[in-house]
Amino acid sequence: MAEKKEARIGVFVCHCGTNIAGSIDVEAVKEYARTLPNVVHADDYQYVCSTPGQTMITDAIKEHDLTGTVVAACSPRLHEPTFRMATKVGGLNPFRFEMANIREQNSWVHMHDREGATEKAKDAVRIAVAKASLLEDLIPKSVPVEHAAMVVGGGVAGMQAALDLGNAGIKTYLIERSPTIGGRMSQLDKTFPTLDCSQCILTPKMVDVGRNENIELMTYTEVAEVEGYIGNFEITLRKKARGVLTPDEAEARGIVGGGCNGCGDCVEVCPVIKGNEFEFEMAPRKAIYIYHPQVVPNLYTVDFNTCIKCGLCVEACGEKKAIDLEMVDELIKVKVGTAILATGYDLFPIENKTEWGYKKYENVITGLEFERLICASGPTGGHLVRPSDGETPKKVAFVLCAGSRDNTGVGKPYCSRFCCMYSLKHAHQIIEKIPGAQPYLLYMDIRSFGKMYEEFYYRIQDEGAKFIRGRVANILEDPVTKNLHVFTEDTLLQRPIDLEVDMVVLASAVQPTTGADAVRKLFGVSCSQDGWMLEAHPKLNPCGTTTAGVFLAGVCQGPKDIPDTVAQAEGAASAASIPIHRGEVELEPYFAQCNEELCAGCGMCVNLCPYSALALVEKDGRKVMEVTEAKCKGCGTCGGFCPGGAIHMQHFTTPQIVAQIDAFLLGGEQ
Amino acid sequence: MAMEKNYGNPSLEAKLKDRYYYSDDTNRDFTKEVEKIGRTIAHMCYQCGTCTGSCPSAPRSSYRIRLFMRRAVLGLEDEALTDPDLWLCTTCYSCTDRCPRDIAPTDVIMAMRNLAARRDIVPRNFLKTVQAIYTTGHGVPNNDVNRAARVKLGLEAEPPTTHGFPEYIEGIKAIIDHYGLKDRADKILSEGE
Repeated sequence: MAEKKEARIGVFVCHCGTNIAGSIDVEAVKEYARTLPNVVHADDYQYVCSTPGQTMITDAIKEHDLTGTVVAACSPRLHEPTFRMATKVGGLNPFRFEMANIREQNSWVHMHDREGATEKAKDAVRIAVAKASLLEDLIPKSVPVEHAAMVVGGGVAGMQAALDLGNAGIKTYLIERSPTIGGRMSQLDKTFPTLDCSQCILTPKMVDVGRNENIELMTYTEVAEVEGYIGNFEITLRKKARGVLTPDEAEARGIVGGGCNGCGDCVEVCPVIKGNEFEFEMAPRKAIYIYHPQVVPNLYTVDFNTCIKCGLCVEACGEKKAIDLEMVDELIKVKVGTAILATGYDLFPIENKTEWGYKKYENVITGLEFERLICASGPTGGHLVRPSDGETPKKVAFVLCAGSRDNTGVGKPYCSRFCCMYSLKHAHQIIEKIPGAQPYLLYMDIRSFGKMYEEFYYRIQDEGAKFIRGRVANILEDPVTKNLHVFTEDTLLQRPIDLEVDMVVLASAVQPTTGADAVRKLFGVSCSQDGWMLEAHPKLNPCGTTTAGVFLAGVCQGPKDIPDTVAQAEGAASAASIPIHRGEVELEPYFAQCNEELCAGCGMCVNLCPYSALALVEKDGRKVMEVTEAKCKGCGTCGGFCPGGAIHMQHFTTPQIVAQIDAFLLGGEQ
Repeated sequence: MAMEKNYGNPSLEAKLKDRYYYSDDTNRDFTKEVEKIGRTIAHMCYQCGTCTGSCPSAPRSSYRIRLFMRRAVLGLEDEALTDPDLWLCTTCYSCTDRCPRDIAPTDVIMAMRNLAARRDIVPRNFLKTVQAIYTTGHGVPNNDVNRAARVKLGLEAEPPTTHGFPEYIEGIKAIIDHYGLKDRADKILSEGE
């Protein structure tokens, strides 16, 4: 610690253009600051965060031999690092800087009370000066970063992120809870606006993931527990009992040349039939199954919820001995430096909007069910048929904003962002495949905002799709023909419409996938009001989270189409690789410290610590508390509690906080 | 403001009248007043058409609830209050059940009817209903066809309402007089003659 000398504080008041100066008398605040104890210099500037503004700080530190700096400006969230750097450049320890927030907590909320806002700004500056006078030099602690990363979720976002990390030379664990990677994109038939076959462009990526030597693909596996912090996450994974051994696992059990080779002999003999989730239960599967022929890894799975353990599959498998019906879940611990969450989405349960009759009327289906029905590898071989009678529908209504942009509480207030475009694509597909087909798109707005999207809208309209501007009020079924009557208003014609169609496709809203919330909480990531995972900053840090070392990719952060998902995945992979490539990360030095002379070894703090950072250790024949600095987040729980006052909270010491309180309560009269 | 034209021919003038919307056609206080009386966020309507699509009146009449919502958003007071369609809502609340913005269009209509009544704009049949309630206690009083039907069904000819207990009509009159509704109805009806 630097030798003690009398505090000499410099105060810099920012105008922030008119953001602050518009409702606070900056000049008066500056003049007031000059009257405060320990203040030897005060100045103001249009934008203190600009290069000239920062130079003012560095110059003043040298010129006035300052011991600490105070900037009265915005919230510390964005610019605290900026001004710490300026303080450091000026020759001081960067932690000898204190920020007074006179924008978010003052000028913006007291826009119509200039006098009151100015007085409040003076208070804030006085309090900051009181603390700055007592600040100490602090040295951030560096911790090494594990040269490995984890990606949770094996859809296109997770696959892309894992490929980027793997190709950057980082050992990457790709965790997928279902038996195969591929996610939602592998269920799609074609992708807008290019009309690429979804499987054709995805399968090579899936194979690449399986082959990449840096990627450890762990399917049918879930995250059970997360401990640690950036650089050193210790993650416990639950490898669910799959009932089937890979060739490597078989070899480890001494079965030479055995293990599952994906031949499918087991399926032939399995007597249990169940709906295939991948096909939305429109096709059957057995109790031992793969979702579809392109799965990665090409490995069967036993559904132990329905398996009757008859053993026929074990017999059929024969010498490969790949099936173990007594397998149990296994817990595996891995250590990684950073993690990316890419947990994706589910459809909103649109049957909750009872007026549209999903699950009540057979010929009302969702957009994802349409994808499977129109897909050549789907349950009908690509022939779109009515579930009620297997007939080919000619007139099909596409209901947009089905549950999106809905503030009733049953539905989602946000725009699900890709339904307009896939409904346009669906319209194209039925025109292409069914001669004489007539698609109707019932819409509120067509949101075709991406590259080549508006052009796609033009093309589909040109192909003959009819657009009716009206949100669907309700749907009724003709009990005899099973045709559907779609009711709405053609708002442009100003007439109510009774539209009789053969089939209705609901472009259902999307929501975070089941279990995403649990994963989010394990990693300490917040969610926004709408339930999606919360990014660190909506514009300037869209891949990061408020938990250092944890990043987001794809729809788990909010609805987005494939191009945006892949772009965010690459961004998240890049961000997640930075700490790993640097090899170490600096932790803010706000650790608790134990004064061992005062510590009575009572251990109360050990149980209170939410981060398991404290422990009792034996020193000189008695028990004292010890802090694992890398785990400590500086929350202050222990320091506030300690009955002996033995815990010192760096940067938030008792004298510093008392000085702030005094400065506030005593006003200017110190 | 709308341009004045003079063709000296009323039907031609009606046909060729200025149909522009001018920003000063908007009365912002009207939107606020409708929201205050209707206790609903009328200004949040995004014109999706769910209301008209749900409306049992729309396929049978020129009534378009969505247009009234638009007038509420824009504060088009005169256009809303002088449109006779305002009185074609049956208040079934289907639009309110389904509105994705969680607005109560039915209550917007009720608020507009209140405001129209303040300006003495009420259809004659509604006013005559007031008079009927005042004198009989019923908006649709019993009649001979009904009486015969009731007797055929084994019921008393007169229902156990003010028809069966005419002494209670005085109470109903007191309530209507308290609000001056009958005098108001009489006055408007007589002015219209």
